[in-house]
Amino acid sequence: MSAELPEVPENFEPTAVARADAVRSRLIDTFSLIDHLRGLSQAVPRHNLREFLDPARQRKLMLGDHHQLVRFSIRPAYHRIPFAQRQQCRLRVCCNPWAPISLWAGWVLRKRIFINFVNCLIFLNTIFLMIEIELVNTTDVRMLPIMMALEVGSWFILFVFILEILLFWLYNFFLFWKSAWNLFDFFVTTLSLLPEIVVLIGVTGESVWLQLLRICRVLRSLKLFARFRQIRVIILALVRALKTMTFLLVLLLIFFYIFALAGIYFFESYSRSDIQDLEYQMYFMNMPNSLVTVFILFTLDHWYALLQDAWRVPALSKAFSSLYVILWLLLGSIIFRNIIVAMMVTNFQAIRNELSEEATHSEMQHKASIFKRQIIKRRLNQKDGEKAKIRSSSGHIAPQTSHHSASLLTGEMSQTENLTKTSVPKDFTAPQEYLLVSDSLVDWETHVHQNLHGLMEMDQDEQVVWPRDSLFRYFELLEKLQYNIEERKQLQEFAVKALINLKDN
Amino acid sequence: MDRSAVFFSHDHIKEISSSLLNLSSLRIWTQITNFRRKDTEYCAYVKRFIEGRFFSMLMISTISLNALCMVLQTDYDIKNYLFLVFEVVEVLFVSVYCFEFCIKLYVDPLGYWKNGYNLLDVVIIIILSVPFHVRKLFGRHCPYLNIGEGIQSLRILKLIPYSRGIKTLITALGQTICTVASVMILLFLLMFIFAILGFSLFGSSDGGDLNNWGNLAVAFFTLFSLTTVDGWTDLQKDLDERGFGLSRAFTIFFILLGSFVFLSMFVGVMIFHTEDSIKKFKKELENERHVALLQEKQNILKKQQEEVSRLMQKGTNSEYKTFSELVKGFKKTLRHSDPMVLEDFCTTLPFIDIYLSTLDNQDNTISKLQELYYEMVNVLNQMLDDIPTKKRSFSSEKSVEF
Repeated sequence: MSAELPEVPENFEPTAVARADAVRSRLIDTFSLIDHLRGLSQAVPRHNLREFLDPARQRKLMLGDHHQLVRFSIRPAYHRIPFAQRQQCRLRVCCNPWAPISLWAGWVLRKRIFINFVNCLIFLNTIFLMIEIELVNTTDVRMLPIMMALEVGSWFILFVFILEILLFWLYNFFLFWKSAWNLFDFFVTTLSLLPEIVVLIGVTGESVWLQLLRICRVLRSLKLFARFRQIRVIILALVRALKTMTFLLVLLLIFFYIFALAGIYFFESYSRSDIQDLEYQMYFMNMPNSLVTVFILFTLDHWYALLQDAWRVPALSKAFSSLYVILWLLLGSIIFRNIIVAMMVTNFQAIRNELSEEATHSEMQHKASIFKRQIIKRRLNQKDGEKAKIRSSSGHIAPQTSHHSASLLTGEMSQTENLTKTSVPKDFTAPQEYLLVSDSLVDWETHVHQNLHGLMEMDQDEQVVWPRDSLFRYFELLEKLQYNIEERKQLQEFAVKALINLKDN
Repeated sequence: MDRSAVFFSHDHIKEISSSLLNLSSLRIWTQITNFRRKDTEYCAYVKRFIEGRFFSMLMISTISLNALCMVLQTDYDIKNYLFLVFEVVEVLFVSVYCFEFCIKLYVDPLGYWKNGYNLLDVVIIIILSVPFHVRKLFGRHCPYLNIGEGIQSLRILKLIPYSRGIKTLITALGQTICTVASVMILLFLLMFIFAILGFSLFGSSDGGDLNNWGNLAVAFFTLFSLTTVDGWTDLQKDLDERGFGLSRAFTIFFILLGSFVFLSMFVGVMIFHTEDSIKKFKKELENERHVALLQEKQNILKKQQEEVSRLMQKGTNSEYKTFSELVKGFKKTLRHSDPMVLEDFCTTLPFIDIYLSTLDNQDNTISKLQELYYEMVNVLNQMLDDIPTKKRSFSSEKSVEF
């Protein structure tokens, strides 16, 4: 299995040339140079998606030139947009001459009062059923009004359930079928509707089916499962554990098949023998019986009795039958059952981690913001300490960043809102100071490596305003920097080699 | 004379003959290793066919149909009714399996045997031929005939290589086999000890329980029954009837050891290994995705570079030698007062801060290194001053090089 996979080296370090290429490609992308050089379009997106969505700015833009381009930058968002929000923006809903029923349906469904009302009705239904079961066989005349009341109440509750499903269909028909909980609801409600329909149609009589159908009413209580969050979590965990074990169960079914079929042939003489008083003779007679027998053996029930009974038939080869039973016990009941237990245990670990995903996400964000503050602080300290140092790598423009130059940059431009995002926040409390001190024990490079990923995935989008020619120059210089660094590395290697040669002589 | 004698002496002949043998075997060996198939195109075609969807669909449907037919054959009435159909279909299935074996062998004669699933195919083909040969060798009324038919049910195992999920599951589980085997051997040893103990205590004397402890095989069965705690009370009752009062201690002790300790150990060992293999499996999936993503990025980059180089060569008036000449015109149109708002990570201030901090660190390290070098050269120069003239000219060359 591992031979087919290409090896990924542990530290995938791109070479300097690769990095320079990446920077150049970024340059080409940002300025859409390819289109420009082909002479295709002269327009470059000057506006940003966030600018466009901000209502104040949008108005300003719309008053100006309508042919401006907007740059889309897509980021995998952590918070999904719920359907309700999306619905409010739709033309079909906003500009409808008729009243927007779907909006109203959605509003009703989300109201806390309505949800609690339906939950209470489910409880009430259960209680009604219990009372009805008690009273169903009494012939006491005084109980008749109560029975009538219970009947009416039952019908009313059923109507409310159907109404709830209809409301959801009004809200969004197709979304209803996508959620498994809704399907469960629908299924349970229709199933419990069946006895009533049957009674309405007029089928009378005491047939067994009618009585069974009445039991379906009880299924309405199952609707509770979909309502409460804790129960949902448990059921989700179970379902996910079963999902990861599908292949294991398929393998188990294959083995069931193999042993059932083999069992029929191995125990043929036992099934056909004429000896009287054989207890388990039907057990391997045909395929359905054989499957049941294999399952019985899987649960380790009376296997020795079965085997001893089978030995009473002289035509049966003792060796093969006992080999069959022992092999199946070892493979199926001992090994497979323990594999299932093991997989469940490991899955529950994974599920627990997934359920606390939100907590881990916010923790990661917190770490990333601490890291950011550290960088800023360090930069400030360095700038104060080494003002006179000439940096060979940076040019004369913007990349000489500290917050002062950044403010120069952005000061002439639009608001300093982006600056506030990167500035040192006021709530720089003491415990985080300790974090800084303790982290300085770690090598700077490792520290950066550990936290860089978190920084890149931060939720709040950093917006930086660049002047265009500075940005172009920045990319150019960054590219040249890569080559310079590579050259410096080679020079260092030469120096080391010369040193070694010197030592040898 | 002497020379001819030497020439024909035994050692010399042995030497010559052995060298001849070496030479010829070497030649044969190089011929074998340099053997290349002449029908590479056809071989590649067949290989593509084997790895294609049609072939796997064909095999999956054949095997499933075969499984279904075998189930139907167990019922006597159906078998009687559709006897001819089953015979024809059986021939068809066997021919499909042999065809698969042949073309897979044709594509890769030597590498065929290295894959475990191909070995499984070979074993199943051998199993297929068992009933036929048993019938031929031992006649129609051999008692082992139904055994031969029983193991035909293993044919469905051929389905496993066509499903990726089960294949990975089995590979993951296969790694736990070693531990499972060792626990089983331990259990067997334990049962062996107790079987002999039980036999000598309960089965060897006259009033003993010969039914359950009479010989070693039956004793093993009894002990296995105790391990799986099924029907052990009946066995214990048997022993009690014969008056073996102390047997209770024996039984309970063995149940505690065998069932509680050993079978639970199974679970523990399996949990440990399953976690390991699942982690490894997930890591491999991650790696695969990572590699695919990197490949995609490389492709995009390459396309862009090709585009740019094409544009460079397409210059109408002047030859653009470098990229900067190409974009010089564009650069002139950029103005300082044009804002561009970017959200990419590489243009954000934290990134620039980190990058420059790292570069500063590197600068510091290198300047420190340079200082060390200067010091070393100083020391060496001082040493040179103290050495006599001859060596001095020699080493001064080296220092100049340096």
